[in-house]
Amino acid sequence: MNKQLKIGWLYPELMSTYGDRGNITVLQKRCEWRGIKVEILNIDQNTSDQQLKTIDLLFGGGAQDHEQAIVIKDLQKKKKSIKELIEKNVPALFVCGAPQLMGHYYEPAIGKRIEGLGIFDMVSKHAGPDKPRLIGNIVAKVSSHIIANEVKQSPDDSTQNMGLPRRLAPRNDVIVGFENHGGRTYLGENAKPFAKVIKGFGNNGEDGTEGVVYKNAIGCYLHGPLLPKNPKITDYLIEKALEVKYKEKVHLKPLDDELENKAIKYILEKF
Amino acid sequence: MNLLLIHFGKLLSFIFRTLNLGNGSTWPGHIALKINKHFIHDLLSQSNVKTILIAGTNGKTTTTQLIRTALEKNGKRVIQNESGANLLNGIASTLLLNANTIGKLDYDYALLEVDENALPLILKEVTPDYLVLLNLFRDQLDRYGEVNTIVTKWREALTKLPKETTLILNADDPQIAYLPVIPAKAGIQSGSPIGVGDDKRIKTPVLYFGLQSSQFSTDKLQHAADSVYCPKCGEKLFFAKIAFSHLGDWLCKHCSLKRPKIEATKFTIYPLSGLYNKYNVLAALQVLQQIGLTTKQIENAFEDFAPAFGRQEIITYKNKSIQIFLSKNPTSFNQSYATMRELGATNLLLVLNDRVPDGRDVSWIWDVDLPGLSKFKRILIAGDRAYDMALRIKYEDCNDFQTFENLEEAIEAGIKNIGKETLFILPTYSAMLDVRKIITGKKIL
Repeated sequence: MNKQLKIGWLYPELMSTYGDRGNITVLQKRCEWRGIKVEILNIDQNTSDQQLKTIDLLFGGGAQDHEQAIVIKDLQKKKKSIKELIEKNVPALFVCGAPQLMGHYYEPAIGKRIEGLGIFDMVSKHAGPDKPRLIGNIVAKVSSHIIANEVKQSPDDSTQNMGLPRRLAPRNDVIVGFENHGGRTYLGENAKPFAKVIKGFGNNGEDGTEGVVYKNAIGCYLHGPLLPKNPKITDYLIEKALEVKYKEKVHLKPLDDELENKAIKYILEKF
Repeated sequence: MNLLLIHFGKLLSFIFRTLNLGNGSTWPGHIALKINKHFIHDLLSQSNVKTILIAGTNGKTTTTQLIRTALEKNGKRVIQNESGANLLNGIASTLLLNANTIGKLDYDYALLEVDENALPLILKEVTPDYLVLLNLFRDQLDRYGEVNTIVTKWREALTKLPKETTLILNADDPQIAYLPVIPAKAGIQSGSPIGVGDDKRIKTPVLYFGLQSSQFSTDKLQHAADSVYCPKCGEKLFFAKIAFSHLGDWLCKHCSLKRPKIEATKFTIYPLSGLYNKYNVLAALQVLQQIGLTTKQIENAFEDFAPAFGRQEIITYKNKSIQIFLSKNPTSFNQSYATMRELGATNLLLVLNDRVPDGRDVSWIWDVDLPGLSKFKRILIAGDRAYDMALRIKYEDCNDFQTFENLEEAIEAGIKNIGKETLFILPTYSAMLDVRKIITGKKIL
């Protein structure tokens, strides 16, 4: 077997605002526990296009406005390589501030508009210092194709639902996280949302969408971090990375996610 | 009018306590400020009390406790706000409840811990004699937004202070050290360098505390470090040596900005363990020296120092030893964890809550470092968000831990058969109060 994956991590020193590193930790461990070797490539201004081409899974986290402005300057130089990866179906996860840079543009609270990479058909604007930030726990329902094969194929067993109504059961398509953003994102015609908000604000607090999806790239506002409590998304990303790289259908060995389910259940009950 | 508010507030507080409606400690101040928003200013200007304000992400309570201990030991009368009551209403309440029947504060010093966000508002009402700024770390983003935003607001507030205030600043924290400079360009513009051009300085006198190079532990930045960019030109800072997080011997190779000259770098007595407490001691030292205490007087006070609640206090419960290290954000957690390991800890209880004082977003636990986790004999996890903490531990490749939904059960399991060893507890703020309630019967001293 001995498969391996290279995870590209965008500007970790500038874009690791609030626990975003946890997403990398979880991706790495869930690979290693299945015997898949992982190499992390820290992407910064010294990373060449050649190196970018070798990435199997791309990740980007959040940054404060000031740091975000520094990142985008270098990111624009890498635009062609990154777009190529996404078009090739390489999976990507952008959380918090990162998706804003992957849309058409982001208008920050102070300063001028930041042109994004245009990977997602969407725009983001900071609502201004007088409008409240969108903050709180969030529960959302993910589009059904964005869950790991192993979860989709499991029987619809009510004992798996841990006593919760089926639509909220952890084994289904429900994800939980925490959002904290001043920016509001609006999807264009060609963009599909990542999830539908069950409780919380999501992209803009108005249209009930959360995040965005294009090919195997996901953009989403969720802290938590997103992946630790939502292993079905982690495993989805790992599956896709392996499928694209090795050109074969992949079924990951299931892991014991009892703790994850208990953590999700706590949020669903309290919130 | 203010006298009326004082008497009314005292009555209200008495009623709260008598009816056991909890502390009610911020209500009197809240009401007073609603009626007279300059209540704090009025009360202080009518009294002869000197004010010492202490702000910063970590260390306020310990620094305040150090200063208070020394002042009281030398015959000064001191009032202090409760560490949880560090917003405007809490401060107003403290002053109100301690005013005498004719509405004056009959004390020598008012020692006030101030929340990061509340500091600019407080400085509109209070002109402190001393203002201590300890540090700024990533903490509770859901309440405070970003560190950069707080720095901008602080600087703006400092420019309005008169020269009668003395600033006591941490030289090892680049953002704090640079606060006295007023950059030529106002505000932080995204993408453009700040502070180039004619910079001015604020009018107040400034004293710096910081550590000597020999005290620093490493030259590698921890993951949780913020403020790694030059506050003047925005380029990445170089650290010759680091104490922890972004505190250390910093220098900008691009514009030559570096650590300012430091007046207080060491003392003979450090009453608490941990590198992080050295900063708190030095900050307190500077305030006490400025007030006029001699080295001997300060040494005597520190020798007798009893830790503030939850900050390394050792409590005996059912004949077993428990030590509590409040851990409320990545830096505070990392330092508590490191210090506990230095003390030889083998029994660990982690308690994670997500109530308002803890910060509702627990993502921060993924920014902490957990070296040597496998060396612990016993790892127990409790709190509202115990399962989130359990996941953090699991992803450190550690499966040898127990998770509890009930805090009391967790503590019992922690001390069972522990013999002469100590149970080290690392709780978030509200969890710390819950722990104290269980093992001492009271939430606060």
